[in-house]
Amino acid sequence: MSSERYLPWVIKYRPKNINEVVNQDEAKQKLIAWLKAWEEGRVGKKAVLLHGPAGCGKTSLVEALARTFKYQLFEMNASDSRRKTDIERIAKLASQTSGLTGRKLILLDEVDGLDPRADEGGVEALVEVIENTRNPIIMTANNPYRDHLRPLREIAEIIQMKRLSEKDVITVLDRICKAENLQCDLAALREIAKRSEGDLRSAINDLEAASAFNKKVTIDTVKAVAVYRNRVYAPWEALQKLFNATYIFQAREAATSTDLSHDEFITWINEHIPTYYETPEEVWRAYEALSRADVYLGRIVKTQNWDLLSYALEMMGPGVAFARSAYKYKWRAFKMPERIKLLAETKKSREYREALAEVLAGRLLTSRAIVKNDVIPYLRVIFTNNPAYAAKIANGYKLPEELVKWLAGPRAKEVLSFMKKPKK
Amino acid sequence: MSELLWAEKYRPRSLDEVINQKEIVERLKRFIAEKNIPHMLFAGPPGTGKTTIAHALAHDLYGENYRQYMLELNASDERKIEVIRTKVKEFARSRVIGEVPFKIVLLDEADNMTSDAQQALRRLMELYSASTRFILTANYPSKIIEPIQSRCAVFRFTSLKREDVVGRLMYICNQERISCRDRALDVIYEITEGDMRRAINILQAAAALGEVNEDTVYKVVGLAHPREVREMIQLALQGNFIEARKKLRDLMINYGLSGVDIIKQVHREIFSPEIKIPDEVKIIIADYAGEIQFRLVEGADDEIQLNAFLARLALLGRKVKV
Repeated sequence: MSSERYLPWVIKYRPKNINEVVNQDEAKQKLIAWLKAWEEGRVGKKAVLLHGPAGCGKTSLVEALARTFKYQLFEMNASDSRRKTDIERIAKLASQTSGLTGRKLILLDEVDGLDPRADEGGVEALVEVIENTRNPIIMTANNPYRDHLRPLREIAEIIQMKRLSEKDVITVLDRICKAENLQCDLAALREIAKRSEGDLRSAINDLEAASAFNKKVTIDTVKAVAVYRNRVYAPWEALQKLFNATYIFQAREAATSTDLSHDEFITWINEHIPTYYETPEEVWRAYEALSRADVYLGRIVKTQNWDLLSYALEMMGPGVAFARSAYKYKWRAFKMPERIKLLAETKKSREYREALAEVLAGRLLTSRAIVKNDVIPYLRVIFTNNPAYAAKIANGYKLPEELVKWLAGPRAKEVLSFMKKPKK
Repeated sequence: MSELLWAEKYRPRSLDEVINQKEIVERLKRFIAEKNIPHMLFAGPPGTGKTTIAHALAHDLYGENYRQYMLELNASDERKIEVIRTKVKEFARSRVIGEVPFKIVLLDEADNMTSDAQQALRRLMELYSASTRFILTANYPSKIIEPIQSRCAVFRFTSLKREDVVGRLMYICNQERISCRDRALDVIYEITEGDMRRAINILQAAAALGEVNEDTVYKVVGLAHPREVREMIQLALQGNFIEARKKLRDLMINYGLSGVDIIKQVHREIFSPEIKIPDEVKIIIADYAGEIQFRLVEGADDEIQLNAFLARLALLGRKVKV
């Protein structure tokens, strides 16, 4: 035991300077540009949402950034900050101007840890903090695509860090071996890197474990101590694995390898069936399986019979993967589903239709269902074709502006201006 | 300047203003004279005046402020019997002041209730029969359970005749001082098959487009039923799944339609002559549409199920060469 204080290697070998961060040039540049914009008072997004897979170095990058540009870093774990007092503490800190103590940088780690149910209102509270902050805020997340994080995605600049390659991981491990005076076989480092799947943190932990008995690290010691971890993948990585699976178990694993809920991941699959498959047969078979998965999930919710989950997973994983007519590895760019972006709009539109049905059902003495099917369609014809007359009807029912806009679509402006004109 | 929907503006307020369903109106007027009514079931197709006449009856019985003596419920909007039970209980509790010793519960579209819910309803009718009368309306009286039918005086509303509808539309045109072609009103009647509410809605929309003639009437009907649904089907049948899926999203966003709304419209479109596919394929599609609708009602996801449907159309379309 040496006299100096023991530090785990993952902390000891954190990059001191931003230049030491391996292979994240794009993220680095964006982050630095954003911070410079803050310093120069240029108006832009007040926060950054930095995301990437576990162990790619999000927190390290932010720490290195703070050190390099001389910021005092205030680090908080967002998922611990569920209590009101914690959010208030962050808010207070964010609202202070940098005085004698130097410039402040606020790091909210793991915002995707906020539970949409348990931490209700947490996301809204953070949005408010960001709107009012006088100091730069960086949030990190493994997965920024959870539904409930949408407000954060909208208010922050999104910067993606990539999963490190085996080569990147080996570079860092080699550096540590030299610093620790270890004798490491290249094969051993390769094995650690392979098992890490780009998670540098786990790779460093494995190296430390493998060297604990002996200053000589061989492939056998690595095999003895290093483990394959249950990885969490970004949705597009999971889709890559799912669609290209060669065995049923791989496709099934891929279906549960994100930290999205099943419904959310189904949305990703739904978006990308036609991205991956070309023939109508394949598209149809994949959708048939996916729609069955959706049916099972619906039944689970309804009956609380969680036994059915494996059927759902088999349909959404292997069911979709083995819709292919012939196996061929295909790399595809799996973008964020349109639907996630449009969800709010779709919901709004449906709410407007309901609200209008509610207003008119009472006046026309009929059900909302009949209003929706037999009245609103004709009302739409009037609103999109005769703005002056539509305005009179809108006044007759005192329709609020958003309902007028919804009914009139492209002609909303005309209808609204007719509504305001005084009687001649 | 303000205007109302003509369906509201020209709604008869009292039984005297009702021009059709003559026998029914006569019988109801006798109840009013006696200031007593039984439980009643108004059965008949949509737009034949069931709800209107129920309101007119209450109006003639209680006067202008009749709505405080009438509880209006709609079974298709309030499917839960607990909701209905609570509201009826609340409503029946307070006593009526005045010469009519009861209040009215109007339960619209009662045939949308499950038979279990109807059993519960039957008990409600018994429990509160001292202080309330129930008027139920239904499109399909056969879907009303027997014990309720036997407790009610049943009134069968018939589809409005051509002269009733055309006459009423003509009356509205005169009141509104708009010109309209006779043939246009006939066309409206043919499209709406005696549904007065839809007939009046079409008339008003056609008037908003300009002169009411055959062209504007057809135009209104065409515009009211989004072409996107048909376009979506055709794109899918041509094998263009991605564009069809885009149309589906537009429908959901721009029109606020739910998955069930869309699959129902699809079902109607499939059998229209515009969709040129062999009849046996239409049957396959209709069967699958039914399956999708069932899944949606069960709580499945709109977009995923409809995408599966479109993917199937794309496959079928290729086989039959649209």
